[in-house]
Amino acid sequence: MKVVTGVIGNDIHVVANRLMDLSLNARGYEVFNLGVNTYLEEFFDAVVETGAEILLISSLNGEAEGWGREVKLLKAKYKSLDNLTMMIGGNLTVGSGNAEDIVPRYKNYGFDLVCHQVDLNTGLDMLETYIQEHR
Amino acid sequence: MSTSSDKLLIDIGSTYFKVSTKESIEQHFRDFNKQILDDLMHKCSDTVQRFESDDIHICSSANGGLSTLIIGLTHSYSLKYATNIAYNAGINVIDSIIFQDIEDYSIPSDLIDVVIIVGGIDSNGGQFDERLDNYLEKLNYSNIVYVGNGPDAMGLASRIDKLLVLPNVIDNRLHIVEKHLKEYLTNLYQQDIEGKEDIKDLYKITGNQIYSTPYVVNKSLPEINATFSVTDPFILLDIGGATTDVHYSKDLVRDNIVTEQGHDRIVFKKLGVFKSRESLIFTAEQNEFAYELLMHLKVTESIYKENSERATKVIMQLAIFLVLCEMSHYRTANVTLKLLAMNSIVFTGGITKVLTVEDIEDVVAFFYRKILNSDHKPVTVLDANYDIWTIGAKEYASCQ
Repeated sequence: MKVVTGVIGNDIHVVANRLMDLSLNARGYEVFNLGVNTYLEEFFDAVVETGAEILLISSLNGEAEGWGREVKLLKAKYKSLDNLTMMIGGNLTVGSGNAEDIVPRYKNYGFDLVCHQVDLNTGLDMLETYIQEHR
Repeated sequence: MSTSSDKLLIDIGSTYFKVSTKESIEQHFRDFNKQILDDLMHKCSDTVQRFESDDIHICSSANGGLSTLIIGLTHSYSLKYATNIAYNAGINVIDSIIFQDIEDYSIPSDLIDVVIIVGGIDSNGGQFDERLDNYLEKLNYSNIVYVGNGPDAMGLASRIDKLLVLPNVIDNRLHIVEKHLKEYLTNLYQQDIEGKEDIKDLYKITGNQIYSTPYVVNKSLPEINATFSVTDPFILLDIGGATTDVHYSKDLVRDNIVTEQGHDRIVFKKLGVFKSRESLIFTAEQNEFAYELLMHLKVTESIYKENSERATKVIMQLAIFLVLCEMSHYRTANVTLKLLAMNSIVFTGGITKVLTVEDIEDVVAFFYRKILNSDHKPVTVLDANYDIWTIGAKEYASCQ
């Protein structure tokens, strides 16, 4: 399966991004890693160009919260993304917050899977389970 | 064998032509009632006759370049990559179309020199359906090239007459592959230059290939520091009679395009100070800050109707302001440059004969204050002697 991944916004946490790339590859995904400093439109555009089934966005500085609000609006402009699985993970808020508040908020933004401060392998296990259940 | 300094370099522009020898540079206003060669020989025959045809090197931007329309899948990849390649090959992009919305776009009435179809990595076929055929049926074009995903190529080639298929410009890691499209467009531009009756004539005096001027200028940019005190990142503005060319350091763009080239080019086809003067004024009238700039320059809009030296000066100052606006976040052209990071701004072309450094700095400072709310002041460099063109032309001459 094809996965587009990268770090959203003006976030340069490249180590986590690299680990994500390696882990996804190890699990047999075909990975398109857009790296750090990636804008929302570039993620969706990469999905269109590659035909990816999964979009996995990461964030460490919490900037995703701001970008998340624009997801539905932007995604609606694309005519071929209805079957896209959207996942987000990392540190998803600025300052402190708990998963009980954060996860529903991001699901409301349009993400199918939300992993706030969840271990990488646990998050990728969640993705596999989700895919098995939904495809 | 002669050295490059023994050569005669000629640049044919839409308004002026320039003739450079190692002793001097001459500039002449073109007589549009004459063929270019007749005009050139009338004004510079003594100079031209001093050189063997193998020592004469000519470039031209007088034909205005080729026009292209690009149909792609996304702004961030296919359209962006193809646009970048087209501009660097000296081609003017008149429109770009997102394929999913192709039915919403109007059909350009002018003849398009080349249509470029692009999109998808090679493992992502099935992108272009009959909506493309329907659009192309109504479009008036001379050439058409496909540089998109592999699986769609055969089907499109069987449906679209005279479709040339070249390797994909997007590789399997979403990186740009410039080579094939750039080579094709450059050759097409070259054929266009050679095919123009006016330009064809010039082969009577030169034994060398005639190149496009933007190409020659781009060639000189890595060498610019040898002649001018220019600090990277910089932009070079060539405000001409018909168009304005901007060459910029790639450090000024937030870009996902990785190439070996240090400088890219963008052209504004309707911003020129002579042939395109009307469209420049039209653009100024649509810009809410242009009126303030006129006030700042202590003139009114009636200056647009004047045919004086003062009016030419103001039009040129307006051109600088409008081009900077187009490349800033205020008006997003194909690229948005990080103008606050720019250290130098280099001017070449006829503008350097009319404006002083102070005139230019005044407008640049106005732009930074009004549009970017900043006191940033890049160093203004004036190429008043067309050194940038001659550096590039000599580079070519020494390669031939």
